[in-house]
Amino acid sequence: MVTVTFDKVRKAFGEAVAIPSLDLAIASGEFVSLLGPSGCGKTTTLRMLAGLEQPTAGEIMIGERTVNNLAPSERDIAMVFQSYALYPHMSVRENIAYPLRKRGVPKADRPAMVQAAADLLQLGPLLDRKPRQLSGGQQQRVALGRALVREPKVFLLDEPLSNLDAKLRAHMRAELIELHRRLGKTMVYVTHDQLEAMTMSTRIAVMQGGELQQFATPAEIYHRPANTFVAGFIGTPSMTLADGEITMDQGRPVLKLGTLSLELPADHLSERPEGTRRVTVAVRPEDILVGTGSFRANVRLVEPTGHESIVLVNAGDVGFTVRVAGDTVLKAGETIPLDLRRERIHVFDRESGRRLNADLAAATADPVRSRA
Amino acid sequence: MTISASQHRTRNPLERRYALLGVLLIAPTVLILCAVIVYPLISAIYLSLFSIYTPTLKGSWVGLGNYAQVFGSSGFWGALGTTVTWTVGTLFLQIVFGVAMALLLNQNILFRSLARSLVLFPYFVSTVVAVLIWRWLFNDLYGILSHLLIQFGVVDMPVDWLGKMPNAMASVIFVGAWKFFPFVVIAVLARLQTIPEQLYEAATIDGAGVFGRFFDVTLPQLKEVLTIVILLRTIWDFKEFDLIYLLTGGGPVNNTRTLPLIVYQQAFGLNQMGIAATYAVAMMLVMLAFMLIYLYRARRQAP
Repeated sequence: MVTVTFDKVRKAFGEAVAIPSLDLAIASGEFVSLLGPSGCGKTTTLRMLAGLEQPTAGEIMIGERTVNNLAPSERDIAMVFQSYALYPHMSVRENIAYPLRKRGVPKADRPAMVQAAADLLQLGPLLDRKPRQLSGGQQQRVALGRALVREPKVFLLDEPLSNLDAKLRAHMRAELIELHRRLGKTMVYVTHDQLEAMTMSTRIAVMQGGELQQFATPAEIYHRPANTFVAGFIGTPSMTLADGEITMDQGRPVLKLGTLSLELPADHLSERPEGTRRVTVAVRPEDILVGTGSFRANVRLVEPTGHESIVLVNAGDVGFTVRVAGDTVLKAGETIPLDLRRERIHVFDRESGRRLNADLAAATADPVRSRA
Repeated sequence: MTISASQHRTRNPLERRYALLGVLLIAPTVLILCAVIVYPLISAIYLSLFSIYTPTLKGSWVGLGNYAQVFGSSGFWGALGTTVTWTVGTLFLQIVFGVAMALLLNQNILFRSLARSLVLFPYFVSTVVAVLIWRWLFNDLYGILSHLLIQFGVVDMPVDWLGKMPNAMASVIFVGAWKFFPFVVIAVLARLQTIPEQLYEAATIDGAGVFGRFFDVTLPQLKEVLTIVILLRTIWDFKEFDLIYLLTGGGPVNNTRTLPLIVYQQAFGLNQMGIAATYAVAMMLVMLAFMLIYLYRARRQAP
């Protein structure tokens, strides 16, 4: 069983602190994505785990072993790079065999291991080609083959799909999920693409400014974002974020949003606000209903994408992004009825950005077992 | 053929004007190249068929007689051997020092940009000045090399660096390497800087050590640039004249007399312009043969 643990890990480059203090416990066999915008520290985290960067403080463990002072080759990890980093002068076969050669695997055992990796990734017919004779997707598979041929404990993947075109990316996503299920190895995956993270991960670690924002299953992250950053970052199009106020009225919280006033379910919040509480509210585009309800909204812009349309509307001085079915007929300038699904409204403290909904502490299903 | 010919004829006026413009633009270059390369080349081959007295440039037709004389003489083959020894020796040192220095300058060392400029110094210094300095250092009476060696007790007597064999050849080869290795440094350093860092990281994770990374990542990436560098440096070292002429004058007893020195000797010492031209053409043939073999092999090895 191979867990990966970051314990109060800090990384500074000179004066610049990339990661102030990171705690992260990855369970054995998980597929964890480190997700965040550029410069959030996700790649630095992965490189520290690989041993390509040295943490300034704290402890990194793979299984029971502290790896801080181990060279990358001693950590029993394999890494797939964004650029694939295939050795250009070696054939596919030599590329895959390279880690075996460097680790002193007997020459006689190598062909069978290379063949097994090639079979798994359908690289058989390509074994004698050079990397530059391969397409991007094929190079990607060779890089995966080189990573898995010696059966490392942990796989590290650094934005491995970002150089592929959209169609191939979707295909490789499916292949990676399949591969993870078959190998059952711990995988750590860095990406800035939330679609990749959502579709492939057992759990996602959302990072921002070197700090871990939320570490939970994709569903949890989508439905119960821990703070305003996660709420704004996850989901396409983004949630509508708006500042409002909550007051208690006869035991029920009432949300004032611009000129709109909504009564929320009695058990919606984890704590009863004293007097008036300043909050930030987030609403998913699909949690806003048009054509029904008591609010009046003015349509500003309609973006049809075929099976659905994204509509920007103004209601009570607040701009909402709404997702509607593709066959809904709406015109800019039109005034329409609008309603919000109150039980799906996310409420955050305006100062700290912390989630105030009562459902935050809800239990999460075992992330690894949910994959199998 | 017929199709392309008819296409030529039916080209429209605009295309023809562009073609004419192309010819006009390229013409000056072609004419200049003809004047400075093709004419001297043909002229040298022509001269090599005559027995010519240099001061008057007059002489009689001897056909291939000069070639029979040159290829039949032990002087030519001896000088060819000397030239090959010098070329191989100095080229080897240039490549080894050049690559080593480029690797060093590619690291994050202190004063890197200063060191990168300083390393070019030998290449910039004029050969005459460089040779004068080295002759000073090599001098057996007051040269600092012998002085230091005696001081540290390595030798008892001053070493005759330039007047004895194999010292003279070794000295010439060494000074040649010192003078020309910066060229290798520049070319290799430029290539080193373009090798993706991720290749080294991948190799590190795959278990390669310092030497593994050099032989499996760096060297294969340098192969193309080294092919060109070796090609150019071989040509230039093979026909190197001033450095050897100024350092030893070909001595002691013709032991460092390379082919270019013989050409000079024949043309202006013995006033045999015809024979000199013959030596020059022979040199060209040797180099041509070498280049063809080298390029053929390099192309075949290329992926």
